[in-house]
Amino acid sequence: MQDSYLIAGIAVATIATMLTRFTPFVFFAKRKPSPLIKYIEWNMPLMIMVILVFYALKDVKWEEYPFGLAEIIGVAIAVAVHIKWGNALLSIIISTITYMFLIQKIFI
Amino acid sequence: MKFLSIFKLTIPVMMGYIPLGMAFGLLLSKMMIPWYYAFFMSTFIFAGSGQFLALTLFASQATILEIGIATFLLNLRHTFYGLSMISSFKDFSWKKNYLIFGLTDETFALLKTSNIEEKDREKVYLIITALNQSYWIIGSVVGAILGNILPFNYKGIEFSLTALFVVLSIELYKKSKLHKPFLIAVVIGIVGMLGFPSDKMLILSLSLAAAVLILFRKNLEDAR
Repeated sequence: MQDSYLIAGIAVATIATMLTRFTPFVFFAKRKPSPLIKYIEWNMPLMIMVILVFYALKDVKWEEYPFGLAEIIGVAIAVAVHIKWGNALLSIIISTITYMFLIQKIFI
Repeated sequence: MKFLSIFKLTIPVMMGYIPLGMAFGLLLSKMMIPWYYAFFMSTFIFAGSGQFLALTLFASQATILEIGIATFLLNLRHTFYGLSMISSFKDFSWKKNYLIFGLTDETFALLKTSNIEEKDREKVYLIITALNQSYWIIGSVVGAILGNILPFNYKGIEFSLTALFVVLSIELYKKSKLHKPFLIAVVIGIVGMLGFPSDKMLILSLSLAAAVLILFRKNLEDAR
């Protein structure tokens, strides 16, 4: 990967992240946010996160063996472990290890 | 407040940031990106899911504009954190700019839930934020360097990103008052995953989600 691409990408990601953090302090320090802004801020993050799950799965080849089974099992384990114990780190580690085991040893 | 008791406050964040930072560093080194980029990303971007997203976008050679828009949309939730910190930071000196810069999900949670005397507050907040960022930087750099040395087959470790998004979805779902946006996002996600061109999937799906959310606001709010 080219250094210029990485540096530009990191710079843009830095500015975009800072925008999201500084905006309220710059614009809303004095006045109250509108109901529409509040509504978007309450509901958009969940939609973004769900779409990111599918975005992360977009390169899975569903019509070829093993038909995305490793991904489906991995996601199911992440959901189950998280609902059971509610520990984000544990859910991520257990499901990732399972997934790595599946694609390295089982679905070869 | 003594440094040791501030450090104790940040231990849960340390236990999360070091392994997750290492997963980030490993993924970065697996993509053949030199380790010092892990340091730069964790120092300047300092946003967990934002940095994972950046790696995913780098891997698919997304354009700089797409990286900017996707990162902005992903981190938009921080705007809400800022809104609820305005009054807490109001009387702080210029140093509050670092607090705003470092307002991650976990730092926000710590600052919001900790009980600190007013005269100490600015200093303690600064130390908490700096400690949290140092855990993140250490984790990601160690992961990036070890990733190049350890003869460990980490094929599939990028699934930690998928798992992170799954976990955060569940967390946000539990907190949200409206549940329809979740179902709408699942439908849009599936349609996007199977139907949209791979390189435009994120932007198209996110824009569609935002449009549906705004256009059908009345229906969604009434249906709670």
